[in-house]
Amino acid sequence: MEKASPIGAYRWLRRGRIASQALFFLLFIFLFVKTDYTGSDTIEYAVNILFRIDPLLALATMLAVKTVISLMLPALLVIALSLLAGRSFCGWLCPLGGLLDGWSRLFGSAKPQSATKFSFLPKVVLIVVLVSALFGVPLAGYVDPFSILVRGLSQAVYPGINDVSVTFFTFTYQHLPATVNLITEPLYSFLQHTILPFEQKFYQLGLVSLFVLFIVVIAEHGQKRFFCRNICPLGALLGWFSRMGVLSLAGGNEDCRACRRCAQICRMGAIDEHRTIDVETCVLCMDCFEKCPRQIISFGAEVPISRGVGGGLTRRQFLAATSASLVLPSVLGVRTLNVQADPLLIRPPGSLAEPEFLNRCVRCGQCMQVCITNGLQPVMLRAGIEGMFSPYLVARTGYCEFNCTLCGQVCPTGALQVLDLDAKHRFKIGHAWFDKDRCLPYAKGIECIVCEEHCPTPEKAIKFRNVDIVTEGGNKQQVQQPYVDDALCIGCGICETKCPLPDISAIFVTSAGEHRHPDSRLPTAQEPLGYGS
Amino acid sequence: MVQHMNRRRFLKQVALYSGGLSLSLPLFRIPESLALDMPVPDVAQVTGSDYTALVKKTMDLLGSMGSFVKPGDKVVVKPNIGWDRSPEQGANTHPEVVSALVVLALDAGADQVQVFDYTCNEKRRCYNNSGMTDAIKSIGSKKARLVHVDQRKFVPVKIAKGQSLKQWDFYKDALTADCYINVPVAKHHGLSRLSLGLKNSMGVIGGRRGALHHDLGQNLADLATVLRPQLTIVDATRILTDNGPQGGSLKDVKVLDTLLGSVDPVAADAMATALFGLAPEDISSTVAAHRMGLGQMDPARINLLSGSV
Repeated sequence: MEKASPIGAYRWLRRGRIASQALFFLLFIFLFVKTDYTGSDTIEYAVNILFRIDPLLALATMLAVKTVISLMLPALLVIALSLLAGRSFCGWLCPLGGLLDGWSRLFGSAKPQSATKFSFLPKVVLIVVLVSALFGVPLAGYVDPFSILVRGLSQAVYPGINDVSVTFFTFTYQHLPATVNLITEPLYSFLQHTILPFEQKFYQLGLVSLFVLFIVVIAEHGQKRFFCRNICPLGALLGWFSRMGVLSLAGGNEDCRACRRCAQICRMGAIDEHRTIDVETCVLCMDCFEKCPRQIISFGAEVPISRGVGGGLTRRQFLAATSASLVLPSVLGVRTLNVQADPLLIRPPGSLAEPEFLNRCVRCGQCMQVCITNGLQPVMLRAGIEGMFSPYLVARTGYCEFNCTLCGQVCPTGALQVLDLDAKHRFKIGHAWFDKDRCLPYAKGIECIVCEEHCPTPEKAIKFRNVDIVTEGGNKQQVQQPYVDDALCIGCGICETKCPLPDISAIFVTSAGEHRHPDSRLPTAQEPLGYGS
Repeated sequence: MVQHMNRRRFLKQVALYSGGLSLSLPLFRIPESLALDMPVPDVAQVTGSDYTALVKKTMDLLGSMGSFVKPGDKVVVKPNIGWDRSPEQGANTHPEVVSALVVLALDAGADQVQVFDYTCNEKRRCYNNSGMTDAIKSIGSKKARLVHVDQRKFVPVKIAKGQSLKQWDFYKDALTADCYINVPVAKHHGLSRLSLGLKNSMGVIGGRRGALHHDLGQNLADLATVLRPQLTIVDATRILTDNGPQGGSLKDVKVLDTLLGSVDPVAADAMATALFGLAPEDISSTVAAHRMGLGQMDPARINLLSGSV
């Protein structure tokens, strides 16, 4: 054929877009499942790649810490893509976009409406996120599409699927005849070796993370791609780069007469009543290219920056957004947590000092997903309203495994530094304290020292003294009473996890002495607090 | 059976004897009259740096694997894999000792040999870094499997003869195995002084294991009334002399290249105690188990079969 029919080409392009979305979503799921300990002390690949190519997180984080974070430079790739090919990332690659389109396809959605309700909002959100970041209030993780997606999946959907599976296969194993188990047991084993997580995990904010993702997905039934059109600041940022870039899109013209098909079917509401396609909004889904009765929609090229660098907001909107984002930093300074941080806010090993840690943390939940003991949990308000979903160790849930360094390896921004094993062994994240009113050898004269048994430092940080006591019954007896060696304890919390008391542990970890804050060093006989350096 | 009658008599006497007695007192002495009625068990003690040959020799002294494992048997080999430590650090049973036992069981015609432990550290890390994953994989037999503990398989068992424990959750596969081979590593332990064969049974029970630490010796003896290994092989190729049970520093590790084996779980523990310069009566679980008639602890009444390779 000498002359390819454009409809044929457009049809293939559209199919290619759908295939690309499916492929990248599967790739995302593959990486998601692989974000786990796989038998090696180093993790080869994880979902953190997604966060390192995210220009919104890169820009917000670098503005916040006022330095270039090399881990996040891959975001330049997505910027380059936007400069060349508009918001094709949103239409072809974004896993959340793929999920929303797939959801609509499977479960239906609202008819596309040409008018986006809050078309200015993504830009406002973008400005608020960036200006707040500059003034030390990290908000990007709350609205970033990848953070919302990964958090919801890793803290609710994925453990939820496992919980249902365990319940089901426990039932079949314990209550159904052996013939049924000939099928169900190999199936369970197969699922465990492929997609199910290795262990059941539990999360403090699982429902909150699920709720946010649920709202994003369910909004599809109000408007197609509602999140992308009305909220997503990453989309707004990529739109801005698209307008700076070379891609132009030629829509319909007066010869189309009454036909508004392109505008009617557009999932992004990118086409106005004059059939003009907004390059800032269009995600190149190729629907209109194919569905246009005249096949007159086409690509073109534009001289970069010829469309102007303005933000697309009115001056009033821009100023309102900017000044609004200045209010928050000024009022956050007066909270009591600035005087005394929450003592139970135990950050993972390798954490930077608190302000820089929070500025870098994008709330992706990778560290918590990869934490093999389930000890890392999303924090609610202990770290302030700007610290929600950031990680902290809840030692009653799980402890910091002595020889494990995975959380630092998957952190996309370096909020958690990568520690080699030797550094990890010495990195103090907190300090263990005994509650002698509860500890069995002290309070009841009952022998125990399970904490000492589990203490992982080669020379144990929990030691014990043999003490003669008189029991409640009046018998003389010797018990081993444990104590903490301050110089050796690194605050891993295994003692708190394993303490056999059924409720509150008789040994607990606080942030005292944590290495990331030199000011919180422990008092010693030679150097009591208030003296010395 | 005489032995059965003996045990019943023991239990009766022991129940009278031990009323209100706290076993945490380290120097509790068994009455001679009780120990006298025990048979004289064999304990093999073999030294050598080739662990496969070491295992073979130990088994030969005890009458070969074929006398314990019959063709078609389901066998459980239960090492200590409790900690995320390397073989050199001596916190877990040496993987070569375990794989050699598994191979012998397979050679004796076992239909299936399961290896597992209910770990203290994260289970995958324990299996991998103890060298156990590679060791079992290198056997290259589908009948030999290193498996993770499956929570669905814990069953509550009434401990009829328990003095301290009346009921606990046991791992089904350990109870139902045709041949259960206990392969502890000999090491220091802060509370029980040593962790040996009886302590290793903590790895096949569920529930809140930490709660057993009060009166640990009696609790372990009670568990041993239910869990009766056909064979105990104490791995003393490396022993941890301090900072047990997980160690971490090579300066606490002593290389002895030694194995002890016995059908009598108490005798095996008792003889292993000497490797640490301690006496059997220093270990409360040995004392309690002996007192309950579960085995011999008096070295004078144990037939030591020494060997080397």
